[in-house]
Amino acid sequence: MGTRILGAVALLAVAGASAYALFGVPPDANQGEAQRIMYVHVPSAWLGYLSFGVTALAGIGYLWKRDLRLDAVALAGAEIGVMFTAFTIWAGMMWGQPVWGVFWQWEDPRLTTTALLLALYVGYLLFRRLTDDPHRRAARAAVVGIIAAVDIPIVHFSVEWWRGLHQGPTIGSPDKVLNPSAPPLFVITLLSMLLSFTLVWLWLMIRRYQLARIEWQIEEHGRLGRLTAARRASRAAVAPSDGAVERA
Amino acid sequence: MNSLLADAAVAWQVARKDALSELRGRYLAGSTLFFAALVLLLFGFALGPDSRRLAEAAPGLLWLAIVFGSLLTVARLHQLEAEDGALDELARYPVERHAIFLGKALAAMAALVVLGGVLLPVVAILYGIDLAGAWLALLAALLLGAAGLAAVGTFYAGVTVRMQAREVLLPLLMLPVVAPLLLAAVKATTVALAGDPFGELSAWLQLLAVFDVVMIVAGAVTYGHLLEE
Amino acid sequence: MDFGTPDLGFIIAGWGVILGGVALYAGLLLRRLSAARAASLKIRRAAEAAEPPPADQLS
Repeated sequence: MGTRILGAVALLAVAGASAYALFGVPPDANQGEAQRIMYVHVPSAWLGYLSFGVTALAGIGYLWKRDLRLDAVALAGAEIGVMFTAFTIWAGMMWGQPVWGVFWQWEDPRLTTTALLLALYVGYLLFRRLTDDPHRRAARAAVVGIIAAVDIPIVHFSVEWWRGLHQGPTIGSPDKVLNPSAPPLFVITLLSMLLSFTLVWLWLMIRRYQLARIEWQIEEHGRLGRLTAARRASRAAVAPSDGAVERA
Repeated sequence: MNSLLADAAVAWQVARKDALSELRGRYLAGSTLFFAALVLLLFGFALGPDSRRLAEAAPGLLWLAIVFGSLLTVARLHQLEAEDGALDELARYPVERHAIFLGKALAAMAALVVLGGVLLPVVAILYGIDLAGAWLALLAALLLGAAGLAAVGTFYAGVTVRMQAREVLLPLLMLPVVAPLLLAAVKATTVALAGDPFGELSAWLQLLAVFDVVMIVAGAVTYGHLLEE
Repeated sequence: MDFGTPDLGFIIAGWGVILGGVALYAGLLLRRLSAARAASLKIRRAAEAAEPPPADQLS
């Protein structure tokens, strides 16, 4: 019940914030209307990183407590994280073309780091699919998730360093909207988008977690069913010999 | 302090065992070397015949060949034991799991250093690079790069060794993680070959070292959970 | 919003895919969730029906 209320609130918040971001807030002096894309790009990036933080922490939690519910949280985080990371790259490209003139820029550390983040977590999800046993899957995934999480700051710093030696472009930087000295209307718009998106994220995480739990219970039931059926079959195969002995 | 020495002894034993089996299975190790050299040759066909472009691309191509070679190397080092069931035996030994990890990573590193060492003259010949004078810096880059690749590779090889789709999963999981290592190693190599005009070399080598330390620690800490299966 | 009209396509594409994608994912989640809950309920009912009668009824 609480989740439904959360969902309704989140929906209203996103609708309101988006309406303002698209139609209400004035455009940027330099980047024009294209700057509005930042209002979805930044929240997506934030949620991508937040989700993967949750996945990594849930993985550590699983290794510690061996509670499969934590693995369900990790799965939810990874799936939702992949989605928002893909959105981040998409929005980045949609912003890049009008502002930079290109869809892709090797010197932007955030873009390249995010692409790698996507690769890491798509790998994580594919990897999860290839193990059936729930506890083994959870342990392996936890371990892979930890290494991936640890890699991300390194990637970011490397690309920053890489870029620094090439005097990357300073005009038309995505940083503008994150700058605290930006016009207050921009900041308010961004913050409301961040907040409303985070509410949506929370709702999605809860629902995905619930789905994982139910699906696993069904899966477990299926496994147990097959196991008991197999045992019954093997017992039935042994039984006829009793009759044979009697006849003899 | 005692347990540290014991761990080091275990690691050394594991590394020796792996290195010896690499030597005995020479043709397997040799095929990896040949594969990497072949990759370099193919890059020549793909990017040539402009020799200037090849010379500029040489550090990147060298490290790509080493990375591809590392995929084969770490998979091989885990495969032999998995097939014999020796991996389970190893897991039952009352030793620290991280010592096993470090030993296997050490063996992988040695193999990769040899690989890099063999590929350097190949690169010099195929792409017309002059290696003289930069050999110390090149060695440093090679050692640090090999260490990082070995740590990450050993970890993921351990993760995927019992899985069905391991041939594709190992590269899929490992390659994104080593992207920063690739970046830094290529930069270090490029800068070293140019004589380090702006004094950047130490910065790149430091980045490699940080990567190595982080990955070795993370791998050692988590490897134990894999053997517990 | 007539300043920078060529940008309009990118804004629509950027926002559209993201908001649409979230809505799509949310819809899929809700659908899978109700299907899973129904399946789980079926299993539980079947299990209850197949339960052996209480011991005192056997004698």
